[in-house]
Amino acid sequence: MSVIDKNHTDRYDTPEEPFALDINDLGNFRYDMQHCIKCKGCYWVDHTYMPGVHHSVRCPSNLWKEFDSYCAAGKMRIGLGMLDGKVEWSDHLLEIIYACTLCGACDVGCKRNLDLEVDLTLEAMRVRAVKEGAGPLPVHKDIIKKIEKTGNCYGASADRNGWMDADVNPAEKADIIYFVGCSSSYVNQSVPKAITKVLQSADVPYMLMKDETCCGNIPFSVGDLDTAKKIAEANIAKVKESGARVLMTGCAECYRMWKVDYPKLLGIRTDELGFEVKHFIEVADEALAEGKLKLTEPVNRRITYHDSCNVSKTCDPWEPYEGKRGWMGCIEPRLDRRRGKSGLYDQSRELINAVPGIDFAEMPRKKENALCCGGGRGAKQAFPEMAENAARDRIEEVKFVGAGTVVSACPWCLSNFSETAARDGEKIDVLDIAELLAMAVK
Amino acid sequence: MSINKYAYEAIKAVVGEANITDDPADCMGYRSGPGGYESGTGYERVMTRLPGAICMPRTTKDVQEIVKICARYDLAFVPYSTGFYGPRSHPHLDDELIIDMKRMRDFEIDAEHFFITVQPGVVYSQIQQECFEHGAYVVVGGGGAQTSAVANLLNDGWSPLSFRVGLPQRRILGLEMVMPDGEIVKFGSLADSDDPFWGEGIGPDLRGILRGYTGLLGCLGICTKMAIKTLPFQPVVPEMQGVSPDTSLKLPEKRVKWINFTMPSLKSIEDAHIMLGNAEVGGAITKVPTFWRAIAKASCKEEFWDLWLKETEESVANFFLVRVMIIGFTSEEQFDYDYNVLTDIITELGGKERRTKPSDESWFKNADSAGMWLMTGSYVSVDYVMDSFDQAFKQGPNYRDLKDKYTPPLMPDCKDLGWFQSCEMGHLGYYEYLIYWDQREDTNGMDQFYVDSAKMNVRNGAYPALLSSHQPLYLTGPAYGPNYHNWILGLKKIFDPKWLSHPPLPLAHDEFCRRAAWMHDIADWPVPDEFPYPDSLKKKMAAAHGDI
Repeated sequence: MSVIDKNHTDRYDTPEEPFALDINDLGNFRYDMQHCIKCKGCYWVDHTYMPGVHHSVRCPSNLWKEFDSYCAAGKMRIGLGMLDGKVEWSDHLLEIIYACTLCGACDVGCKRNLDLEVDLTLEAMRVRAVKEGAGPLPVHKDIIKKIEKTGNCYGASADRNGWMDADVNPAEKADIIYFVGCSSSYVNQSVPKAITKVLQSADVPYMLMKDETCCGNIPFSVGDLDTAKKIAEANIAKVKESGARVLMTGCAECYRMWKVDYPKLLGIRTDELGFEVKHFIEVADEALAEGKLKLTEPVNRRITYHDSCNVSKTCDPWEPYEGKRGWMGCIEPRLDRRRGKSGLYDQSRELINAVPGIDFAEMPRKKENALCCGGGRGAKQAFPEMAENAARDRIEEVKFVGAGTVVSACPWCLSNFSETAARDGEKIDVLDIAELLAMAVK
Repeated sequence: MSINKYAYEAIKAVVGEANITDDPADCMGYRSGPGGYESGTGYERVMTRLPGAICMPRTTKDVQEIVKICARYDLAFVPYSTGFYGPRSHPHLDDELIIDMKRMRDFEIDAEHFFITVQPGVVYSQIQQECFEHGAYVVVGGGGAQTSAVANLLNDGWSPLSFRVGLPQRRILGLEMVMPDGEIVKFGSLADSDDPFWGEGIGPDLRGILRGYTGLLGCLGICTKMAIKTLPFQPVVPEMQGVSPDTSLKLPEKRVKWINFTMPSLKSIEDAHIMLGNAEVGGAITKVPTFWRAIAKASCKEEFWDLWLKETEESVANFFLVRVMIIGFTSEEQFDYDYNVLTDIITELGGKERRTKPSDESWFKNADSAGMWLMTGSYVSVDYVMDSFDQAFKQGPNYRDLKDKYTPPLMPDCKDLGWFQSCEMGHLGYYEYLIYWDQREDTNGMDQFYVDSAKMNVRNGAYPALLSSHQPLYLTGPAYGPNYHNWILGLKKIFDPKWLSHPPLPLAHDEFCRRAAWMHDIADWPVPDEFPYPDSLKKKMAAAHGDI
């Protein structure tokens, strides 16, 4: 007899409800939407870490537009309205749903207390939008077409390996396969150059993917799961064909796709991919710990670190789940909930602090409380004002701690911070963590 | 559904186009529940409606102009700060205007004189950190660190940290209100100066009216600015530690410490409260519901039930734990002195110190109310009261026995006695009774328990806090007045003759009881055939809820 049966739960009549962590059906998250208490843990920085009246918000969407409908608490109510047929599709509703970077701040905030599946609910709302023909937005459809046509989200016809110069020496065969990603291949080419420089200086062999194409981040994020799944299958096949044991990215968006969203799309666990997924931070940190990476050149700067969302609060490994929810909302079988604890918080800081000459300053919003830059998951392409607003708020925080340089671990953050700083005439430098490390190696 | 278009345009001219909306999706984002305080209750299902529009003012002048526009167009409104306080802070009529105060977030601290001045958009955790950095602290109400300090202090404002200055109204200093007709009223020293340092004078001290002992939930206008007393702390700013969900404040070990003591009996816990107050040492003393310990230990809902269902009525009845905080306000020596006095008291009572984490997970900066929903999904405090210790100690058994009748749908809690603590350095007892349920159950029993507990208190002569805002006024008014209800309704008539400010409060729970069929048997007190609404409100009530 279970502990619940011993307690005369026959006196209660809560129905057992089957559900799955499957974003194909918004109905899987009805319980979560019904149980949001509007504490706004999705909006505020963890109260323990609340820095005062400034820098206190962690939701880039609700920072941009302040109506409750733009925070996850409001969206949970809207999602329930969608399920119950009480909300009709409109341009405004699509803005509410898509002006969001799926940064996971709301999810980790909610799991501080309530363990509701907020991020998955937001994803499921987008999938529903696509299934009902309302989404994605025209700009997203255009990006998806570009990916299908050219293999990259910019529609660029140039050689994807155009970033490589004579100093880049990948191995023909290695345990690590470096997935460069669209942004690094075409826009932020200094990042892969820096990554390969650091790897080579540490004597870490790597190979490149033959005929690399987009990771599918934007199709997945806007709810076009069919397209995203095809991309996932093709990319995974390429890694398996290469024989690599580790798929390494230098981009946080790609990292989450490979580590979390591909398994989610395919209904498998992350450890069933057949290879490990690592971000460059992990590889470099391991090399540092083994004494292979030698950071000897001083970098005399006061810098701060921006925890890119997808190497922090969203990157817990994926595990499919199907079960039943019963008495008092308890679920069977048990679930090890994804609460953002796998973030690469320590590794990134170990690397930065190993660089000689660095004067490191933490921003008030750090680690899982960091405010998203606003640049990811297709949100910037559709809502550039939202993305700028988030980056501007974060740059204020960089200045608040007196840093002249902000370092991140994602080329999308790099772009959004750089573009916003340039537009606003801000005198700050924006670097990828690989670029910082590359300065410190001989 | 929307508000009058001329009213909408006029309000848009005040707040700007970006700060008003009547879009259906935005309105849905402001729906009451279905989760949250009093989630899934009959009150929520019967009484709440979607708003017709939402606006976000920035200044007191904005609020004043909005309220005047509402008066001109006979538009009902409800002030809204964080939206956390469940159905009672949401519209009860069709096409109401929500005045969302979150953009009003001015904050000033007067560190020298220990007070802050805030607008309603500032939440407690923000205030607490600012205070820490100036050697002060505030009492973060049990409602949680995520609540608006203004809203919380108008309605609630207690926590174990109330030990030194307990009565929330004593922490409200100068205060500014926009009345339902748009007039600005300034309370306390704000009445004749810009310095809000003093709550009692020169102006009339109307704080009691606003709170109506515990809150009128915006039915007498909108508070736009409040000065709040802060309390001297010690100089070390507690360090933030851990990664979510395991975050806490590391306390400076020689200045601040929580200590748990195992005691031999319930009586010894009660005596510890009285004796610590008499000795005037410490920063907090409390006996919390036993299942909170299981919440603190559990890593998830399922683990909570694993732990809690190992308990029995006998084990809970024989578990005696008192939790005390000592603070070295002035020095480490004073901290040592307080600790020695405390351990003398506990030793005399036969208690024993237990190992306690040198951190604060909750009360200083979190007041973990959000975590209270984890176990069942639904929760409400059915009563909280500040009165004598005698009453505080008696209420536990009273509620325990009554609750048995309503379990299920209420959660099995092994007849736990609830929460009590000492306030005002032992001059007041505080009692709070919290109930939990799964909103997917038939929750009629929860609605009935709420009212049955009010009737129990009337029978026992116990004075509860939730009179006009949360309980039927025609039940409690005659019982505690005998004309308390007439007084409240008289105030409403004078200050808000058109009943535009969050109608139909203060008669909302009365309305619920007469509109919900499952409440009819229990609602056996006399009520007038017609409630004293103006004709315009009668029509709106009929439109929203149907004829009686």
